[in-house]
Amino acid sequence: MASVTATRTGAERVRRQPRPVAGFWPTTPALFLLLVFFVAPVVGLLLRSVLDPQPGFSNYAEVFGSTTYLRVFTNTFVVAGLVTLATLLLAFPVAWFLAIAPRRWSSLLFGIIILSMWTNLLTRTYAWMVLLQRTGVINKALMDLGLISAPLPLINNLAGVTIGMTYIMLPFMILPLHSTIRTLDPALCRAAALCGASPLQVFAGVFLPLVASGLGAGILMVFVMSLGYFVTPALLGGTANMMLAELIAQLVQSLLNWGLAGAAAVVLLVVTLTIYAIQLRLFGFGVGHEVE
Amino acid sequence: MLLDFDRLGLFRIVLVGIALLVGAFLLLPILLIVALSFGSSRYLQFPPPAWTLKWYAALFADPDWLSSFATSLEIAVTVMIVATLIGLMASFGLTRGRFPGKEVLRALFLTPMVLPVVVLAVGLYAFFLRLHLNGTFAGFVIAHVVVALPFAIISICNALERFDKSIEDAAVLCGASPLEAKIRITLPAIRLGLFGAAIFSFLASWDEVVIAIFMASPDLQTLPVRIFSTLRQDLSPVIAAVSTLLVGLTIVLMLLASLLRKGKPA
Amino acid sequence: MTRPFLSIQAIEKTYGAVVAVKDVSLDIAKGEFMTFLGPSGSGKSTTLYVVAGFLEPTRGDVLLEGKSVLSVPSNKRNIGMVFQRYTLFPHLSVADNVAFPLKVRRRPKAEIDAKVSAMLKLVRLDRMAERMPAQMSGGQQQRVALARALAYDPPILLMDEPLSALDKKLREELQVEIKRIHAETGVTILYVTHDQEEALRLSDRVALFNAGRIEQLGTGRDLYETPATRFVAGFIGNSNFLSGKLDRRSSTACAIVLPDGVRFDAAPSAAIEPQRRDVEIMIRPDHFRLHNGERDDGLPKMTGTVTDTTYLGEYTLIAVRTAWGVPLTVRLPPGAALPDIARGQTIDLTCDRANLRVF
Repeated sequence: MASVTATRTGAERVRRQPRPVAGFWPTTPALFLLLVFFVAPVVGLLLRSVLDPQPGFSNYAEVFGSTTYLRVFTNTFVVAGLVTLATLLLAFPVAWFLAIAPRRWSSLLFGIIILSMWTNLLTRTYAWMVLLQRTGVINKALMDLGLISAPLPLINNLAGVTIGMTYIMLPFMILPLHSTIRTLDPALCRAAALCGASPLQVFAGVFLPLVASGLGAGILMVFVMSLGYFVTPALLGGTANMMLAELIAQLVQSLLNWGLAGAAAVVLLVVTLTIYAIQLRLFGFGVGHEVE
Repeated sequence: MLLDFDRLGLFRIVLVGIALLVGAFLLLPILLIVALSFGSSRYLQFPPPAWTLKWYAALFADPDWLSSFATSLEIAVTVMIVATLIGLMASFGLTRGRFPGKEVLRALFLTPMVLPVVVLAVGLYAFFLRLHLNGTFAGFVIAHVVVALPFAIISICNALERFDKSIEDAAVLCGASPLEAKIRITLPAIRLGLFGAAIFSFLASWDEVVIAIFMASPDLQTLPVRIFSTLRQDLSPVIAAVSTLLVGLTIVLMLLASLLRKGKPA
Repeated sequence: MTRPFLSIQAIEKTYGAVVAVKDVSLDIAKGEFMTFLGPSGSGKSTTLYVVAGFLEPTRGDVLLEGKSVLSVPSNKRNIGMVFQRYTLFPHLSVADNVAFPLKVRRRPKAEIDAKVSAMLKLVRLDRMAERMPAQMSGGQQQRVALARALAYDPPILLMDEPLSALDKKLREELQVEIKRIHAETGVTILYVTHDQEEALRLSDRVALFNAGRIEQLGTGRDLYETPATRFVAGFIGNSNFLSGKLDRRSSTACAIVLPDGVRFDAAPSAAIEPQRRDVEIMIRPDHFRLHNGERDDGLPKMTGTVTDTTYLGEYTLIAVRTAWGVPLTVRLPPGAALPDIARGQTIDLTCDRANLRVF
């Protein structure tokens, strides 16, 4: 028997007449703005790396040939790596806590995270300058406790940059991690435990693989943001461990060496875009996750 | 188990401990600055030897700080309006339009957010040197709109994608012109996205410092630039006072945002 | 000859190589309740959207009282529409939603107030004027949408599967309401649905769409009792189809031989091309007659085995497998069910010539 009940797969999708360029014009002001004041200046700077002072690759030869500049590259990667590691270690348990703790506690911690994230960057950097300076709160407390006899050098060096940047980057690691952990179904872990897995096995075999995408997104985002950071390293770091963004700024502001600055910018851009391409390929868009 | 808070066992203590530590790590520096802004010590001793309002008095007596504050506010409000408007139009194009290269365009619109700011700052600085826009109000606004635009577009696009286009179609069939339907029906319906775009655009400009450092002139300095250049010299407690005011503004904006979210119908 | 109220003339709509609607024509009388019925993607909604002005047809015309409306934009067509999804304006109260089309038309305030309360009374929501859409159930929201669509007295009301998101009980309740409102207002309704029961229940006439064309246009009775094509026969109501060979054919009669050799006579169908021999006969489940072999009415009989019987109160369903293995469903009214039909039993099935259709 041909039992005929109409298919209930929903309404027919109705589309408007497809003209080749329908609805393009509203994007033109933004497009114009970005082409003229974003694409053109950036491309202009990049071109200077091969045109200034004379056409050729002399700027790149200098950037990659000089130990001074190579030290800046190394230093940039070391700082970004340290910051990523530190934020990861702190953010993972916090994101976990946020996902499963009673609502009252988690929303309080959330409020603190958002307050920190929305507070002016310079205010936060200033706070760490005050805390870390020779006569600052931390050194004073350690000396009062008798743990140290002379103030520790905490500022204008690697330690200062790493602490300050970790503070700034922490929310960018917590939020993507939290949004992944939050979507996990507790029943999954329970089911794994019922199958006889030990807590460690559940963690490594079920939990970690499921949050891998959030972990990856957070790691790449923090790393790439740290690579190009300017303000915090400029204020908390020392001249001995300058980072790439500072170098570019200094080449332009103090040395007026546009060609070299362009070459350094190309290096920074290539690294940044490569990492974003990896992220896009592996995890889709990690940017623009909702901030609660 | 691992996701049941009450059944974590001993590990729960570890988790709570780290959460407490990170909470303190994030909150205490901000509280410290607020406290120091009322402390009498020129050298930012903590706890302060005495309490005072003299840093606030110094701040409000200094025309340079006041003019920086006004400059930042003017620029940020202008950027907020321009970025939200341009972003609104672009978002309509990106969500409703059908044209080749739409995804490329979307990626382009979001790129300023992921590009290291220093590259844009140096590039724009060179470009503005030729256009004589460095140190001008227009230059600041243009540069900050470029930085703010991705935030506005993300916020409005999210709202537009959640909005059912049939509702706008219904308004058109009711007799409203397509423009009237957008203004009277669609815009009110996506108002949360618009407010979000406005707040984020404002903050993007208000907090922006890297581009501003390059573009600032002695006559036109935004607040972050003045803080930055002051910090390069010393850690004046006046900055603690400025910072405290900025923290206050942040809290006001957060409350505003959470009020808006609560007012949203289910 | 009277001029039709709404005339859809040879509409065609293509997207590149994809044909969504092909040569759809029909006339609708003033005050008529016309339903477009059909499966997903059959072109019924596309046709409706052409009438609404959301789509431009590739070819063809739409005339309202003799005048083409294709060049009139949607907002000037003065057409009412209720959508499948809930389309109340989320930031406006129920009363403001209903008032919206009148405010857009700049009607005086007193008139708007009077009309809004009349409309809310019509859909029986006059106590909910100040509610916001988010505070209402789906059924209530669609009633408001109906009030809003009728507030400006449009000559035509379009309804695009307005009840498909509601559960069965609510759907039936609202079907009664829609029928009542149609009777009270006399508005011409074009209604789209994929639910045949809803179509038959509501409409004066039904246009059954398939693959972008109208398969058959007629009253529900026409479609059920004299389906024009195999598709209509299969779509409307439940049917049994049996494959056979066309044996003899004249202008008044034809004979079909089933695989077991039984010959059925039937009225010839225009749907069959002259050369074709493989045909199907269609018999509705309630048109079968069962025999235990004792009586003989002279009609051809096929033999089958009962595989299952299901008592459903209002009727009894009997599943039968023919000798060559085709499953059939037989529906018997209460009382008519032979008490001794049991699983595994062999029975004879027959059907009056008038109830046989050949495709």
